[in-house]
Amino acid sequence: MLRIGVQTKNIVIDSAPEEGFAQMRRAGFSCADFSLNSYLSNHSLYRSENNRFFDRSVSELEQYFTPHKYGAQAAGIAINQLHMPYPNYVPQGTQELNDYLWNVVAPKSMAVCSFFDCPHLVVHGFKLAYFLGSEEAEWKRTEAFLDTLAPMAKEMGITICLENLYEGLGGHLVEGPCCNARKAAERIDRMNEQYQAEVFGFCFDTGHANLVGIDFESFLTTLDHRLKVLHIHDNDGVSDLHQIPFTFTKTRENQPSTDWNGWIRGLKKIGFDGVLSFETAPVLASFPEEMNMDVLSLIARIGEYFSEAIRNESMKEEMSYKLWET
Amino acid sequence: MDMINTPGGILDTDRPGQGIQDLVGAGVDDVLLDLSGFCSAWELETLGEEPLQKARKEGGKVLVSEHPSELYFRAKPLLEQYEKARLRTRTVRAPYLLRNTKRQDLNGLLFDLAKESLKVCKKAGASDLIVSPLFGRGGKEEEWKRNREYYLKLARVAGEHGITILLENQCRDVNGHQIRGICSEAEEAAWWVDRLNEAAGEKRFGFCMDTGVCNLCGQNMREFVLSMGSRIKAVILRDCNGREEVSALPFTCFGTGGRPQTDWLGLIRGLREIQFEGQLILDFADTAAAFSPLLRPKLLGLAKATLEYFRWQVRMEQFLKEHPSMVLFGAGNMCRNYMKCYGEMYPPLFTCDNNQKLWGTKFCGLEVKPPESLKCLPKDCAIFICNIYYREIERQIRGMGIENEIAFFNDEYMPSFYVDRLKRNE
Repeated sequence: MLRIGVQTKNIVIDSAPEEGFAQMRRAGFSCADFSLNSYLSNHSLYRSENNRFFDRSVSELEQYFTPHKYGAQAAGIAINQLHMPYPNYVPQGTQELNDYLWNVVAPKSMAVCSFFDCPHLVVHGFKLAYFLGSEEAEWKRTEAFLDTLAPMAKEMGITICLENLYEGLGGHLVEGPCCNARKAAERIDRMNEQYQAEVFGFCFDTGHANLVGIDFESFLTTLDHRLKVLHIHDNDGVSDLHQIPFTFTKTRENQPSTDWNGWIRGLKKIGFDGVLSFETAPVLASFPEEMNMDVLSLIARIGEYFSEAIRNESMKEEMSYKLWET
Repeated sequence: MDMINTPGGILDTDRPGQGIQDLVGAGVDDVLLDLSGFCSAWELETLGEEPLQKARKEGGKVLVSEHPSELYFRAKPLLEQYEKARLRTRTVRAPYLLRNTKRQDLNGLLFDLAKESLKVCKKAGASDLIVSPLFGRGGKEEEWKRNREYYLKLARVAGEHGITILLENQCRDVNGHQIRGICSEAEEAAWWVDRLNEAAGEKRFGFCMDTGVCNLCGQNMREFVLSMGSRIKAVILRDCNGREEVSALPFTCFGTGGRPQTDWLGLIRGLREIQFEGQLILDFADTAAAFSPLLRPKLLGLAKATLEYFRWQVRMEQFLKEHPSMVLFGAGNMCRNYMKCYGEMYPPLFTCDNNQKLWGTKFCGLEVKPPESLKCLPKDCAIFICNIYYREIERQIRGMGIENEIAFFNDEYMPSFYVDRLKRNE
């Protein structure tokens, strides 16, 4: 069976991290996606606010996260991926803020990742196509940023995973950085070749892909072995809701409006053997707190279902048939 | 660049007189002929279902789905009226299936209908036929094989009539959610067009980019256009909110503060970059249907102006090129944007501004002069207004007795932008 993980946000709290990790374990998870982004939120960064959390030295950060590290170990939870704070660049932010994100937050995030013995760091690309005029120019800036992290990643044995993102257009969410699988694959290969190490990979976010109508199967097949980690969550195709898979329907037949069958086929085709990691923190906010364990158990159970489906040969044909029936 | 209107929502195919009158009255001279008006997606979907067929036959109509060769005869009266009204039909759309079709059994019929559509094209004097692909079970390879055979069979007939077949980006319905379907990834679509042309041994295939589909699939339209390049022969301009598939007039779908929900910026950037000179097809059928018949003539005027606006935006660089001698009016953000993107290629002699404090200063490398200086311009020098108060400034210039050409510049769809804006009066 594939390992199943969930993000730590809304589960693991700083005052007693061991309890959160233990809860994850009891619910059926064996891996965690450490939400380092919770310590410097995107909302505050877009307001050009900096809470100075990353002013701490690396050793202070290690000290800060020591209870988390041992809490996870005690619960038998492996931290398989870590989410770097984002954005990494605020177009209308001050030079000081952007320098801080680039030169302080990013390398220290890598240090925390390494401290957790975590092999994957999820990083957002810069959102600059509007200003610079093209995706290529936008990528060039992102690559310059990644180039500063790559040597550290190589030394620490970390794979930096680029994530498919979206942009907003009058409230309509449209494709943002890393939504072209072919380009992503080419760039990852080229940079890995350059550094002679697997320093770059991909994080496929099902919710973001669903928002911009990406064909999951085709995208995953193109990414192939470059796919390292996942952000599994669901939405209505309109808002980035981070809800439980199979939640959304759009017709009275009540069949899921997210192409989970295509997703499973894609992972199956490429022989994905990584962690089925859910990014569903908002679910824990919407359900009553007393139901946290039930909710987490359901998410873990869905992970088991996915794992069985990805591993089960006969389901492939059945689902392929169903797709055209719907 | 040709400008074509789709008469959906304006014209009743059974009684087209008033619709044609409205179109002509608005100055429209080229219309798309959508043959689904004579064999609808719904008719195809319910083909063979007894109660519906019976009801249609009782209405006294021959069903084109049962007799594809009737297609031309059904379209003929409309074509005759178009001809009488001097409305051209350059592009025709063949009948197609619903996005969420359950019919996997109509491939033969769809071929017959497409073949008949080619005949209609010839009779109508059209040069292009938009043909949707065949859907069916299987993965990408099966999809390609099935359609390769289909399109190449059609290519033989199209070749006889000198018609170009246009493929079109499609959505795929996943239980009510429209996601990227056949030819919706530009790289794949370009591959299809190239392979088909290779196999046909001539450039028999091109592409029709549907902005509505791109928008439903949240696509970056600049990237789409650049990947397709010169394969794009036609662009269907239609708006939607990104959730429901409708054909709304561009700029009518927006979020808070009037922010567009469609990537018009990316589209215009892309079309400018490839120097698009194909067909711009405006489809605003749902907006038209939503308006009272009493208001539609006025709406058509706006639609025509919208189409012309797109052409003007796409041709912005050519427009600048046509004015080797020019000055700007305005020394603010728009002037700054002009100088950032076009200043080097199309340098103005100077700019002028009503703000006295700026006179004699330099702005983005340009000398800022008072408006009075426009009186000394050589006759062939155009004045480009770089300020959103276009009409007010135009009136001011004309009021000064200046007879030089006045043109408008617009910086809403620039190739790139500054991240900041100058503060007012800065």
